[in-house]
Amino acid sequence: MIHDIWTVVWKEWQEFRDQLLSLRRGGLSALILALILGVVAPVQLGAEWVESRLIIGYWPFLAATMVSSLIADSVAGERERHTLETLLASRLSDSAILIGKIIAAVLYGVGFAVANLVIGLIAVNVAHGENGLILFAPQRFIVTIVFTVLASLLMAGIGVFISLRASTVKQAQQAFGIAIIVLTMGPLLLFNALSYETRTSLILRVGRVGETRIEAYVVAGLFVLSAVVIGGALARFKRGKLVLD
Amino acid sequence: MPNGRALAIRAEHVTRDFGPVRALDALSLEIPKGIVFGFLGPNGAGKTTAIRVLLGLIDPSAGYAEVLGLDTRRDGSAIRTRCGALLEHPGLYERLSAYDNLDFYGRAWRIPRRDRQERIRELLVRFGLWERRDDPVGRWSRGMKQKLAVARAVLHRPDLVFLDEPTSGLDPVATAGLREDLAALAAQEGVTVFLTTHNLNEAERLCAQVGVIRSGKLLAVGSPEQLRARRDSGRVDILATGVTEEIVRQLASRVDVRAATVSGDHLAVSLSDGASVAPIVAWLVQHGVAIEEVRKVRATLEDAFLDLMGAEAEIAEGAGGTT
Repeated sequence: MIHDIWTVVWKEWQEFRDQLLSLRRGGLSALILALILGVVAPVQLGAEWVESRLIIGYWPFLAATMVSSLIADSVAGERERHTLETLLASRLSDSAILIGKIIAAVLYGVGFAVANLVIGLIAVNVAHGENGLILFAPQRFIVTIVFTVLASLLMAGIGVFISLRASTVKQAQQAFGIAIIVLTMGPLLLFNALSYETRTSLILRVGRVGETRIEAYVVAGLFVLSAVVIGGALARFKRGKLVLD
Repeated sequence: MPNGRALAIRAEHVTRDFGPVRALDALSLEIPKGIVFGFLGPNGAGKTTAIRVLLGLIDPSAGYAEVLGLDTRRDGSAIRTRCGALLEHPGLYERLSAYDNLDFYGRAWRIPRRDRQERIRELLVRFGLWERRDDPVGRWSRGMKQKLAVARAVLHRPDLVFLDEPTSGLDPVATAGLREDLAALAAQEGVTVFLTTHNLNEAERLCAQVGVIRSGKLLAVGSPEQLRARRDSGRVDILATGVTEEIVRQLASRVDVRAATVSGDHLAVSLSDGASVAPIVAWLVQHGVAIEEVRKVRATLEDAFLDLMGAEAEIAEGAGGTT
């Protein structure tokens, strides 16, 4: 099973590689993004770039965005390019194909975020490190990485679930865009719909819980959500059905 | 077990419905190992559905099918491990090179690295694609893609290969080339080839056995010679002079003649079942016809196929229903 998953990851990466090496097919935008996020932002912000609390949300957001740029293509793209049925006619199992695609996208997103993080650390130290090394606090760094992996996993799970149901990449991308808007804006709109007293009370309660516990809740929440979405996608990924879609 | 040979495929009354549409209708088939089997039928006849069922990709609604001794419902994964397939589309990753396309499927079939490299080279050389191995497949011609897809289908040395219209959309030169490659492949690798096509010339040249399907029903199965023999029943072309309208009318009224037509010096006679041509020739000579040549018309597989299609359509019309 693991060998088969890595075979699918290998194939997906061969296709990503082609996309990244070609400036016209996305390589240029990835390069510009890496330059802004990995060099310009750290040089401008200095030590704040590693000390700000926002960093905990920043890297997971970046990784999830990179995952979202690929994952809608995962199944819908194979279907549109008529490669899906041949893949399904191979000896690879349903779960190996699906998990391989998810892992490939997560590795891409997390890899991009980590590469930017390393470049950023080098840039910030070159520009502002005259009084000693500027580094992340160890706990915050670990939490950031865990968040980044889980956010990418959740995004990949949602993306592949949507991609499974879409008949074209365009359709998958549109549905995925709407899902992301609902998922990000929904909680904010819900919160704003609450009365002023309730909102104040909620903020006070959350404030009393403590940073570490909130982080633990977020990790658990992301983990459970990812498991549910990926489990749902695995349940839907049945070759007998996909062949006929 | 026909001719005492082991079977690659055995299907018993396999039926597959898609809602109200019956794509396969009680299909029963036995295909011995090591032959090229041609599955002939018009578009929408059920050929692709049959392949999907046999590969264990979809279950039959009723009936039972065995591929290489494995149950298609239960052992789909094991069947796909031992089979190769070129389906309706080449199914190639166009952004990847030819080599990487084969490498991916070689990995998927867990061919060890060294063997994989050798096998990829062997196939690409055989199909004349080695020099272009590093090109993205998207830049290739359709014929080259089809060849690569065939190479992929046999990469892991399967016992059975399904080829769904492998020459569809190719020009005549590419078709002839691919046909030669397929024949050589079947002979050299000893695999059973299940080939669907509506190119009857191709089937006639390649296949040891053919099955004719229409509207999900198997109309006939046998060697191309056996199918042709059904159509060969007494068609005679006679090159002669002195054939008058009256002679043709009298000839057509004979009990051993089903029909007779004349066009210039060419007299076409369709004999009744079991009738011989000699008494007819003698009768023509007696009536002053000068005969230059008598030739039994050998039906092509296409004639046999079209006859089957026509007969099936008549039955369907007679039943007053749709097929």
